[in-house]
Amino acid sequence: MSGGIARGRLAEERKAWRKNHPHGFVAKPETLPDGTVNLMVWNCTIPGKAGTDWEGGYYPLTMHFSEDYPSKPPKCKFDQGFFHPNVYPSGTVCLSILNEDSGWRPAITVKQILVGVQDLLDQPNPSDPAQTDGYHLFIQDTAEYKRRVRNQAKQYPANII
Amino acid sequence: MESEDEMAAMMLIEDSNDEEELYGDDDDDSDLDDVIMDYDGFMDHESDDSDDYTSPHNHHHHHHHRSQNYTVLNEDDIRQLQEENITQISTVLSISRVAAGILLRHYNWSVSKVNDEWFADEEKVRKTVGLLENHVPFPDAIELTCGICFDTCPRNRISTAACGHPFCVMCWQGYISTAINDGPGCLNLRCPDPSCGAAVGQDMVNKLASVEDKSRYNRYILRSFVEDNRKTKWCPGPGCDFAVDLIVGGGSYDVTCRCSHSFCWNCVEEAHRPVDCGTVAKWILKNSAESENMNWILANSKPCPKCKRPIEKNQGCMHITCTPPCKFEFCWLCLGAWSEHGERTGGFYACNRYEAAKQEGVFDDTEKRREMAKNSLERYTHYYERWATNQSLEKLSDRQCQPESQLKFIIEAWLQIVECRRVLKWTYAYGYYLPEHENAKKQFFEYLQGEAESGLERLHQCAEKEFQGYLNSEGPSEGFNEFRTKLAGLTRWAPLKLPLLLNYSIP
Repeated sequence: MSGGIARGRLAEERKAWRKNHPHGFVAKPETLPDGTVNLMVWNCTIPGKAGTDWEGGYYPLTMHFSEDYPSKPPKCKFDQGFFHPNVYPSGTVCLSILNEDSGWRPAITVKQILVGVQDLLDQPNPSDPAQTDGYHLFIQDTAEYKRRVRNQAKQYPANII
Repeated sequence: MESEDEMAAMMLIEDSNDEEELYGDDDDDSDLDDVIMDYDGFMDHESDDSDDYTSPHNHHHHHHHRSQNYTVLNEDDIRQLQEENITQISTVLSISRVAAGILLRHYNWSVSKVNDEWFADEEKVRKTVGLLENHVPFPDAIELTCGICFDTCPRNRISTAACGHPFCVMCWQGYISTAINDGPGCLNLRCPDPSCGAAVGQDMVNKLASVEDKSRYNRYILRSFVEDNRKTKWCPGPGCDFAVDLIVGGGSYDVTCRCSHSFCWNCVEEAHRPVDCGTVAKWILKNSAESENMNWILANSKPCPKCKRPIEKNQGCMHITCTPPCKFEFCWLCLGAWSEHGERTGGFYACNRYEAAKQEGVFDDTEKRREMAKNSLERYTHYYERWATNQSLEKLSDRQCQPESQLKFIIEAWLQIVECRRVLKWTYAYGYYLPEHENAKKQFFEYLQGEAESGLERLHQCAEKEFQGYLNSEGPSEGFNEFRTKLAGLTRWAPLKLPLLLNYSIP
């Protein structure tokens, strides 16, 4: 979509988010050292779902929007080395709705993306692995996989946000 | 034999008359398909084409050749066929032309498939391709929020697909343009709403896309009709824009495009009767790949026993010294170290150990393999040379066939030469793969091949050498009429053996 619409849409996304967003989630555009707001990069937090091994963790995720947004999806990244079968070693999330060649539609909102990624945390997609470590443990050693997930949850407590 | 030949000749002559009546132009060479082809399905196609449908039909562009199982299509023909299919589906199913187009594209432009699926389970089909039964009415409001930019827009700046999800015109334009720029996938475009599968068809594109995007979209639709269609393929000839529509199951796959390129419709390689596509693929691989080099190396070299590099022994004695840095000295026959050789093992030109070992059968397997590779290589060279000669003559004749002469019988002679050369060429590939043990079959095949080759040789000789004489002579020559009779006769005679050869080799 030709220039300009990305920022307008992101401003609207921001407004909508402030009006109403799911509990425990954070999503806000980054503030640069000089105090200006960069709408093209959002710092978000996704809470692990209650009742799962991910509970208690508040996972930071960065969304990078391009000028082609919302024609093209944003790139969503956890920290480098994040433990999850569908997260690349760089931290980039591999999820169908975030793939411009398959699931992405311009009407998908930031809220829908964040909820989608939260779902993915506890429901990995073994047919689309993005890292060896997480994938192998998930397939072969459930006990160890769960241990790693719970350990990771402890590394991301609520207070560091 | 005699009467069979006569019959074949009659068929050919009849056919060439036929062709003149139908066309009078020479954009289609009289083809041997005529003799061996099965005509099933031709009438179907005829009726398909000539639906009483009112649009300017360029009849002379269609090749309604009685004996051809294919039709060459230009862009207008393709669009016309496409329109006819859309009309048919739209009429039968009582749906819009846009919807009919979406359905046809989804089912690879097969009218019968669309009918079958639709009448089997309309609801399922609608769901699969995204055709909603009822248009969702436009929300009744003065202003609506666009689902993409989230701006509030007046109603007249909002557009929706059949599903009624509102997006502003600007965002629609961007959405459609992005999809078209991403390639032919745009033909399968759906509503931008993530939960919605409603199709976005040509009507939306026409309404919302830029002129340039519209033309690209139309191009993709045209291409889809040829590329997704089970019956149609683009001619692979360089720079050729024609497509060839084939009645599948009608016998030969060899077709000649209006650009004069002859190709096999099935594998899109050059026309290659009498061999099948699998053999052609193998042969081409053989010619291009390293396989024959490997065979040569295997047949003519032995690996150095120490460093394993292949060594060819082209002369000299059995005492081999490998090149530096290896410098290993060994015996060519038994591949043992030379230090253990010399006068006591039989001298420089023999090796007792080798002879002894051979007696015991130790070397048999490798030797045998080497011998076989050598035979295979010689065989291949024999067949490849003949294949390649026919290929080069074919090229030469292409060049000679420039329209410098308006003498039709000469053109016909050359077209016949090209056709025969091509068939003969491929018979050599066929011969190469003919199993060694099928002796009788092979002998008869080679007899026919020889006959065909000599007939063609005489025709070629006459068309090239004798013709040259007339070409170089100043003013009209006396014997020219005789030359015409002779060449025309040879032209008819040369291909007579080919049908036999073809029937023979088609399994």
